[in-house]
Amino acid sequence: MAYPQSDGRLEVLAGLTFEVADGEFVCVVGPSGCGKTTLLRLLAGLERPTAGRVLLDGAEVDRPRRTVGFVFQEPTLMGWRTVEENVSLPLEVARVPKGEARRRSRELLDLVGLSGFETAYPAELSGGMAQRVALARALVHDPRLLLLDEPFGALDALTRERMAQELLRIWRARRKTVVMVTHSVSEAVFLADRVLVLSPRPASIAAEVRVDLPRPRTPAFFDDPAFGALARAVRAAIG
Amino acid sequence: MRRQHHDPFWLVPVALGAFLALWQGVVSIGGYPPFILPSPATVVHRLIDLLVDGSLWHHTATTLQEVVGGLALGTTTAVLLGYVLAHFPLAERLLAPYLVASQAVPVVAIAPLLVIWFGTGLLSKVLVCALIVFFPILVNTIVGVRSVGQDLRDLMRMLEATRWQTIRLLEIPAALPVLLGGLKVGATLSVIGAVVGEFVASDRGLGYLLKQGQQLYDTALVFVGIGALVVMAQMLYGGVALVEKMVVRRATCDVRRAT
Ligand SMILES: Nc1ncnc2c1ncn2[C@@H]1O[C@H](COP(=O)(O)OP(=O)(O)OP(=O)(O)O)[C@@H](O)[C@H]1O
Ligand SMILES: [Mg+2]
Repeated sequence: MAYPQSDGRLEVLAGLTFEVADGEFVCVVGPSGCGKTTLLRLLAGLERPTAGRVLLDGAEVDRPRRTVGFVFQEPTLMGWRTVEENVSLPLEVARVPKGEARRRSRELLDLVGLSGFETAYPAELSGGMAQRVALARALVHDPRLLLLDEPFGALDALTRERMAQELLRIWRARRKTVVMVTHSVSEAVFLADRVLVLSPRPASIAAEVRVDLPRPRTPAFFDDPAFGALARAVRAAIG
Repeated sequence: MRRQHHDPFWLVPVALGAFLALWQGVVSIGGYPPFILPSPATVVHRLIDLLVDGSLWHHTATTLQEVVGGLALGTTTAVLLGYVLAHFPLAERLLAPYLVASQAVPVVAIAPLLVIWFGTGLLSKVLVCALIVFFPILVNTIVGVRSVGQDLRDLMRMLEATRWQTIRLLEIPAALPVLLGGLKVGATLSVIGAVVGEFVASDRGLGYLLKQGQQLYDTALVFVGIGALVVMAQMLYGGVALVEKMVVRRATCDVRRAT
């Protein structure tokens, strides 16, 4: 994958191949600016590869599809819509009847722990709450695949840990396939079935670390020696 | 966020009273003849005359028609063109020099041309108003549509939103605060446009009334005409502000306020 730039082309991803199994939780880590967001945008169909292909259920991803949920690096909410209206946006676009949309939005808000904030506006939310609204919105139309671009990047460490646990809980409840970009190695190991480490630009897969550790995982997991060993392996691969 | 100010209710009438007293004082002490500076009482008498014989309403209605017609025409064309230009930067680069150049020509200079082409009736005035309204609305539309973040656009793409859904659910609400700001300016400019048009050639309207007052040295009539224009501009501005309040909810505190 290359971007056109003022002084020629910028080769961002090259020789990068991987598969994600149904229901798998994959985390992607790598140096800043190596092309993690670009990778997600390719998976989402927001960007077309200049070479190579992206397949979802055997079909080429040639444009964005509703069957994929996306959470952007910044909480991307509509300031003129209430929390509930933001969450139900995908249903409104898909012309789901109002009553049904309302029921599903409330269910999702409950799942992300934001019941009671239905009529609040995004400006009244904290960063963590806004990202949870974005997560609820990404899930409300029941997509097959969930793409998360450093969803907790802007949060403090404490909120981040809590959000990671909530994400696991939601993932268990909804059984989605997840590809998540993060710059936190411990977060990646804590969440994922598999961690992909990208090399610097042009990025390919520098290492693939399988996290064969039992679930459900709790914060106690951070003190597990096996966890420490895996985190060290990932860090070593980043270099 | 803005703080709501509640002025004491008596402030406006007291200020108005003081103004009228000062005015009367200047007339009495200076001893000016009414065709230089009529007293408040003279103007009020003239106003009552004009109200009673229905001519004030007749002229105001004419001007209002021109103002509203021009506002509607100018806003519609400016919003449509602005939307296109916001999405096609190349078109904007090609058209921008002409649009800017057109702004260097005063409307007063174009108005006679419009009267020659479109007659001395309503149409030429509506066109003058539309012309004067066009540019600020165009610029605000472009700014408003461009202010929509790329992430929100990508979100709509992810949801496979149709073009119309993207316009209705994203672009209109996002651009509305800026657009309404432009409309407030446009509403007052449109009043100026109508008067300019009527100055050039007309047989009715508030601009015609002003010209008549000038020719007959009926200064009180001029004052009444100006007052009617001020009230009209105020009401149009207030109308747009009211719509703004209803449509643009408190949500705007985090959407950029570009006006
Ligand atoms: N639309 C674009 N046009 C041109 N170049 C781009 C574009 N998007 C990204 N790039 C470039 O591609 C490279 C990879 O960007 P990308 O956003 O994918 O990195 P990233 O790994 O997500 O970085 P970060 O960790 O900072 O979020 C960067 O050098 C960036 O400048
Ligand atoms: Mg990124």
